[in-house]
Amino acid sequence: MKKFVAIVGSNSKSSTNRKLLQYMQNHFKKEAQIELIEIKDLPIFKKSKEKTVPERAKEMAKKVEKADGVIIGTPEYDHSVPAVLLSALAWLSYGQHPFVDKPVMITGASYGSLGSSRAQAQLRQVLDSPEIKARIMPSSEFLLAHSLQAFDDNGNLNDKEAAKQLDGLFQDFLKFVEISGKLNNATAANKQKAADFNWEDNK
Amino acid sequence: MKLVGIAGSIADESYNRKLLKFIATHFRSQVDIELLDINDIPMFNEDDDQSDGDAIQYIAQKIEAADGVIIATPEHNHTVPAALKSLIEWLSFSIHPLDGKPVMIVGASYYSQGSSRAQLHLRQILEAPGVGAITFPGNEVLLGNVKEAFDEKGNLKDQGTIDFIHTTLNKFIKFVKVINHVDEEADDAFEAEDLDATHPVDTTVTNVEMKAKDWVEQAAVKTNAVEGSAYVKLDRGLLTVDQLNYFFNTMPMELTFVDDNNQFIYYNKTMEGKDMLASRTPDQVGDRMTDVHPPRAIPNVKRVIHSLRTGKTDLVSMAVPGNNETKHIMHYYHAMHDADGNYRGVNEWVLDLYPIVASYLKQTGKKLVDDPNNQVDANAGASQGSASSKDDADKKPDVDANSGASEH
Repeated sequence: MKKFVAIVGSNSKSSTNRKLLQYMQNHFKKEAQIELIEIKDLPIFKKSKEKTVPERAKEMAKKVEKADGVIIGTPEYDHSVPAVLLSALAWLSYGQHPFVDKPVMITGASYGSLGSSRAQAQLRQVLDSPEIKARIMPSSEFLLAHSLQAFDDNGNLNDKEAAKQLDGLFQDFLKFVEISGKLNNATAANKQKAADFNWEDNK
Repeated sequence: MKLVGIAGSIADESYNRKLLKFIATHFRSQVDIELLDINDIPMFNEDDDQSDGDAIQYIAQKIEAADGVIIATPEHNHTVPAALKSLIEWLSFSIHPLDGKPVMIVGASYYSQGSSRAQLHLRQILEAPGVGAITFPGNEVLLGNVKEAFDEKGNLKDQGTIDFIHTTLNKFIKFVKVINHVDEEADDAFEAEDLDATHPVDTTVTNVEMKAKDWVEQAAVKTNAVEGSAYVKLDRGLLTVDQLNYFFNTMPMELTFVDDNNQFIYYNKTMEGKDMLASRTPDQVGDRMTDVHPPRAIPNVKRVIHSLRTGKTDLVSMAVPGNNETKHIMHYYHAMHDADGNYRGVNEWVLDLYPIVASYLKQTGKKLVDDPNNQVDANAGASQGSASSKDDADKKPDVDANSGASEH
């Protein structure tokens, strides 16, 4: 069975993105083992001369490294990815590069009607940056709108259409992970390239 | 004009901070840019609202008081740094200081790209409804190859780059004026300033007719006010009421206290009203602002008090019409605040600056000559806030300073 990690892109206790990932964890338990990762205790990303990385971030990187694929649930704050998720992704690409060529599926939930569409578009660009270089599943977008009303008491999706779409996307993701596993000829070189990259401009 | 500059980096060594520092220093004769640090801003978390905390309030108040903002963003992972995003999330949650604020984006980077993607993201972020900033369109300052860009003194080496930044900054200054002008046209908030003093505050003495000629005596009875040899503990000192009077009455200026309910409650009575620079009479104390100003002055009194009350400025200063070569009477209105920063009224002082200047000339053997380049109409020149700021010179809040409290 495939092993995935799911990153909760929010530090809020009542995050509906967490709820969505929990739903997936439960709903797809026969097809994959999904471990949820919380990012709220990571410090705000800061570069240092010594390139210090917090222990927690190193542990997370190991989990990502070992996983067959990663699911990222992103909220949308101010039309973009929340700072807390940007910060986590920055730690996970600072002196360590677990995302290189890693299959990633993006989900997003929002209170309003757009379901974090803008944040997801920006997140794709972020995941495509030189030190992350993840393999984002193409032509797939799962936007859960009106997320406060989206779940029933058992944490299942009320909207059957949405649930069906997610089922389909998840099947595709399993396939995508499989195919991706075969596209590994350049992975070692890609990892080296990520490690050599230097965002000196970020100083 | 006053701008604040925010470097969107918390790295120990930041080229974006360097770029802002250069802009602030190099163009200081044109515009006042204060640099703000975001190192102490915590990670945004909606479960733990720290909008009232010192770190966020400090930046929010600086932005609020500024005419515009310059943000210098690095690019990390194709987007803005988490630290900068976190700040903007705080500034779009419980408080919205960037709302309607003109913002210019600049960015420096090691590569030739010069933070282009981050700038694009930042634009989208700043224009999100909760943030509501008005980003300066169509002008991008992308400083690439930044490692080679500065000399050892922190100056940009390339004159072409400096000229480009100069042009862009000039356009931004115009943009700021236009945007703030649009806001001002729509902003008639000062009209709400209640010069009739109908909103009693905790220090207002109730049940005494404000217009009463003996308001002071009546109010003193109501409040069991101490007088004479009674001691009053002050910050920092201890004086009797008599001593306080000796002290205030020998101040080399005319002092007036207007409280936060727009009630005139004190002046230092050193002479008869007719001999004062701005006449006040004993029976006026206790009067409402409406009662001590002629109707034509009311809108501007409202403007001045409103700008002090809302923190738009702490000081309004104006020269009295009719000053001449041996007389330069100034009126100053300074906002007073309690320990928590709440507005508590106006401290107005009036004095003739000429004797001070004359004494200086005498002691130093210098003399005054006309400046042929001077365009300030010295007689009417009244400036809000910083007296040195050129663009404020045309804002003349023509409070009829001369008549002041005299027209009863």
